[in-house]
Amino acid sequence: MAEAFPSALVGPSSKERKYDRQLRLWAASGQQALEESRVLLVNSDEPWGKHNTGVSGVVGVETLKNLVLPGVGGFTIVDPAVVTEPDLGVNFFLEEESLGKSRAEETCRLLRELNPDVDGSFYTKSISELLKDPEFLPQHKLVLVSGPVKRPSLEAICKAAKEFGIPVIYTRSVGFYSTFSLQLPAAFPIVETHPNPESTQDLRLLNPWPELAAAGASIRNLDSLDDHQHGHVPYILLLLHHLEQWKEAHDGQVPSNYKEKSEFRELVRSSARTSNPEGGEENYDEAVAAVLKTLNPFSLRSSLREIFEMEECKHPAPDSANFWIIAAAIREYYQRHSVLPLPGSLPDMKAQSADYVSLQNIYKSKARKDIEEVTQIVRSLEAQLGPRPAPASDKDIEVFCKNAAHIKVIHGRDIPIVDGEATTLKAIRNNIDIPDSLVPTFLAFQALDDIITDIQAGKISEEALDDEKVWGSAIDHILGAFQPEGASTIEDGDARERILQAAQELRRTQGGELHNISSLTGGLVAQEALKVITRQYVPLDNTCIFDGVRSRSEMYKL
Amino acid sequence: MLKIWSMKQQQQQAENAEGAAGKKKKKVTAAQLRVQRDLQELTLGSTMKMSFPNPDDILNFTLTIEPDEGMYKGGAFHFNFTVNQNFPHDPPKVKCTQKIYHPNIDLEGNVCLNILREDWKPVLNLNAVIVGMQFLFLEPNASDPLNKEAADDLRQNREAFKRNVRTSMGGGSVRGIQYERVMR
Amino acid sequence: MVATTSPQRWKHLYSVLTKSGPFSDEDWVPGPETISALESSKILVIGAGGLGCEILKNLALSGFKDIHVIDMDTIDISNLNRQFLFRQSDIGKPKAEVAAAFVERRVKGVKITPYVGKIQDKDEDYYMQFKIIVCGLDSIEARRWINSTLIGMVDFEDPESLKPLIDGGTEGFKGQARVILPTLSSCIECQLDMHAPRPAVPLCTIATIPRQPQHCIEWAHQIAWQEQRKDDVFDSDDMEHIGWVYNAALERAKQFNIAGVTFQMTQGVVKNIIPAIASTNAVIAAATTSEALKIATSCNPYLENYMMYAGEEGVYTYTFEAEKKPDCPVCGNLARKLTVNPNMTLEEFIETLGERPEAQLKKPSMRTEEKTLYQRFPPQLEEQTRANLKLKLKDLIEDGQEIAVSDPAYIIDFRFRLAFQ
Repeated sequence: MAEAFPSALVGPSSKERKYDRQLRLWAASGQQALEESRVLLVNSDEPWGKHNTGVSGVVGVETLKNLVLPGVGGFTIVDPAVVTEPDLGVNFFLEEESLGKSRAEETCRLLRELNPDVDGSFYTKSISELLKDPEFLPQHKLVLVSGPVKRPSLEAICKAAKEFGIPVIYTRSVGFYSTFSLQLPAAFPIVETHPNPESTQDLRLLNPWPELAAAGASIRNLDSLDDHQHGHVPYILLLLHHLEQWKEAHDGQVPSNYKEKSEFRELVRSSARTSNPEGGEENYDEAVAAVLKTLNPFSLRSSLREIFEMEECKHPAPDSANFWIIAAAIREYYQRHSVLPLPGSLPDMKAQSADYVSLQNIYKSKARKDIEEVTQIVRSLEAQLGPRPAPASDKDIEVFCKNAAHIKVIHGRDIPIVDGEATTLKAIRNNIDIPDSLVPTFLAFQALDDIITDIQAGKISEEALDDEKVWGSAIDHILGAFQPEGASTIEDGDARERILQAAQELRRTQGGELHNISSLTGGLVAQEALKVITRQYVPLDNTCIFDGVRSRSEMYKL
Repeated sequence: MLKIWSMKQQQQQAENAEGAAGKKKKKVTAAQLRVQRDLQELTLGSTMKMSFPNPDDILNFTLTIEPDEGMYKGGAFHFNFTVNQNFPHDPPKVKCTQKIYHPNIDLEGNVCLNILREDWKPVLNLNAVIVGMQFLFLEPNASDPLNKEAADDLRQNREAFKRNVRTSMGGGSVRGIQYERVMR
Repeated sequence: MVATTSPQRWKHLYSVLTKSGPFSDEDWVPGPETISALESSKILVIGAGGLGCEILKNLALSGFKDIHVIDMDTIDISNLNRQFLFRQSDIGKPKAEVAAAFVERRVKGVKITPYVGKIQDKDEDYYMQFKIIVCGLDSIEARRWINSTLIGMVDFEDPESLKPLIDGGTEGFKGQARVILPTLSSCIECQLDMHAPRPAVPLCTIATIPRQPQHCIEWAHQIAWQEQRKDDVFDSDDMEHIGWVYNAALERAKQFNIAGVTFQMTQGVVKNIIPAIASTNAVIAAATTSEALKIATSCNPYLENYMMYAGEEGVYTYTFEAEKKPDCPVCGNLARKLTVNPNMTLEEFIETLGERPEAQLKKPSMRTEEKTLYQRFPPQLEEQTRANLKLKLKDLIEDGQEIAVSDPAYIIDFRFRLAFQ
């Protein structure tokens, strides 16, 4: 044990000091993933008519700010626009001297100033031009698109990104409203979901492995302990001990329902010594409090059960990602033992130092044994599957075992459009009539996308952005998409009225951005980008709408 | 802003409150107000005295406990209380000013009392703290000590512990540590 | 003061200020008057850190032209991952000054006045000059101070004395924004129980039965330091001090076979470090400044009154109205004016309090901010303040001064502002 403690002071490096506050969230592994990623920002497509330069791209630039600061590897800005006067009123990463220059170049320059560790580059060509180079897109781990952009451009980007499995976030921020959607690959697995620490506890009190059962049995002579020792028996051992007592009196059965657990709790409570100055014992208090929470038989979470049922988990293919190989091994482990590998962590509890440490070691060594078993399964699967680019690392297997109960796989969806997937229509219909639903705002944004598409196609002029008739027919067109499914659900006046109201708020700035709302949205989008890039925490699935009028937001799976 | 103002005017009528001159003068702080109330609600008994080096500063004072029973009978134990402006969100800080032999008080004067740390809640008041402090002298607690040697003595040989308490209170030394004389 | 820039520059902002929306108030008059009201609104930002930097940028790009900022801190390397107005070469300089200069340089026509110091250095006259106060702080104590100061400033005869307080706070992926209208809506003090106190470990565990690496660090920080380095005041920014605590913690951990003490953990425990990232700060700061714009212009309804945000799992926000507590020690008992004869003795004054129908205080104790006027209990303090009973009010307090009165017969306390006849 002693060699684990270096005596010399090993202070943090200057990079660790700079990133200290975020390393406490996503650790060195998350930071490494971030530093190995390059993000593409498509910050405008074309002007909206003759006098309107189009998207200001503030959400995009603010998002990049929030990625450059924590040290993303690099970014690429694609933006054919030239800096105009209104840009200076909304975009902080432009200055007086930027007027008339390339917006891509200027924002790139001022963003790079934020962090010398980050590489930044820019293109003044349009994205459709750049997509012709097959090497261009795959350099990036994530694509951000600042909308509204015309439908064909958005579709081209999304389709190309999907082919390479690159996630896309499509954002729009207009006046006091914003919305963004995340397009993830068909299966997006996350191992480190960072659940609430309390929900990760797995103490196995009802089915202890032999070493733990032996530790419980070691306090049979509880009554003969002196007060000091009695008051310091770790509550885990107290529960194990009293469970044995209970089983003896109940045909070997453990307390299984609420009533039995309550009875058991009383049994534990009544065993505490109360003839001391404090009138009770803390370790017993802890044991009593833990009864209902911890005496539950192991059960597999439904999210994990679903993963175990997925084809790739049941039969990983030679080209399956390491995630699936390890998931398959965990599945195998579960089939053998009817439990998951032990995470191995032990909550703090009243105990003498040495007793706690030895109990902790019982949990830790069981966790290590479980990891070894899973590793063996992984290796034999790898052997069966034949040569693979890189075997699953020991570290990956360990992290997976620790987090096994909470892993997630998100089934990525396309960026939602009303006349796209049937599931999108259905989700919209299900959510539109809920009181305070923000779906009407989302539909107003859809109408805006359609109007922009028509403006850019030269069908209507930019004045249409505040034209009652144009908006009315765009909204009717969207509502028309719901027609075949039954007119009654969405055609009622209320939904239309609410979409019109949201549209009226969008019309207030003729599609223009307000800095606050775009900055807030840039914060939300960056948060999702960080989660996607680090593969930690749980990203949005798949659409968020922010209402700056009422200061609230909603998430929808559209 | 117009809306807020009219809202406020309605409220004004409801409250019938009045403005006053002297805007610049400092207000009694929430911590001061709470301590003023807590002090008034103390039940001190004959074994406890308080002193205020500066009577205008009620956030800093000394409590003297003079146990009239138990092992520490006859002693006078002084504690400095420091209450910060974040009271009662933060607990008061309490320190013994003498070097004493007690399982729950270390040689630096730190006191181990649950409600001074992990179990502090803003609804608790100074009286709860003082009652807890008094209890420490009637029933020193060997199971969770700050002074481990004293706790071991208490646990292993109560009589020897009592003798050590008397020795230390007289200014003698126990296990090679010289204690301060604390007899009344 | 307002620099001449092309109206084209503020095109988007001006369009929401010159046109009603479906949710803006019916009585609101959009147009040039609203714009000039915004541009002449003096606004104060408290804190120039993670939130403050964002808030300053957002206000400058929301049309505020006269912004003040207070912060007592200097720039540290660990700020650079989110406080985007600072560079490596700024380390050691005052945050308020560097932040103000940067935003002034970047956004033409905005004036930002920094003050390097504590909020407590400033008096009511100072706070009275602002229309709105936006707070981006990490200290509960400072929040409580500005909250009670602004509540104390409300003069019901002067609408200008009501200063909306917009407060933001973050921790890791979480945060909150709230709007407080002093004396009218739920205040920081009413909401104090939403700040969970930092969980503490019993001192005796630290002293005798450590089990976790954090216990060893606390021991080194709180006990070993006191014993062995009594004469040095512990400074959590001094690397030598942290290093000493780290090594002492390692030694102790070794003694008890406890694994896991690291330098990073040591720093985290002794400095009570809260994780912080740019993106969460951006969300919360913009939520506060969006409210500032709405309050200053009425272009849309403002937040009533609390929005919390959690970003660990998708995007979650919850917006609700926190309730005003009738027994709030700060906004629940506003000072009432009492007209008194300055030649009256304190004893006579106390008698009148017992007689006045609005008071009926029989056994009051009372004080001003700087003076204990009379305290009935404990006896030592009663003795020390008894002499004041015979003194005249004018010799104890100034005209218009506030006194706070507690009486065991009432569960709430009273504040009076004494005006001399």
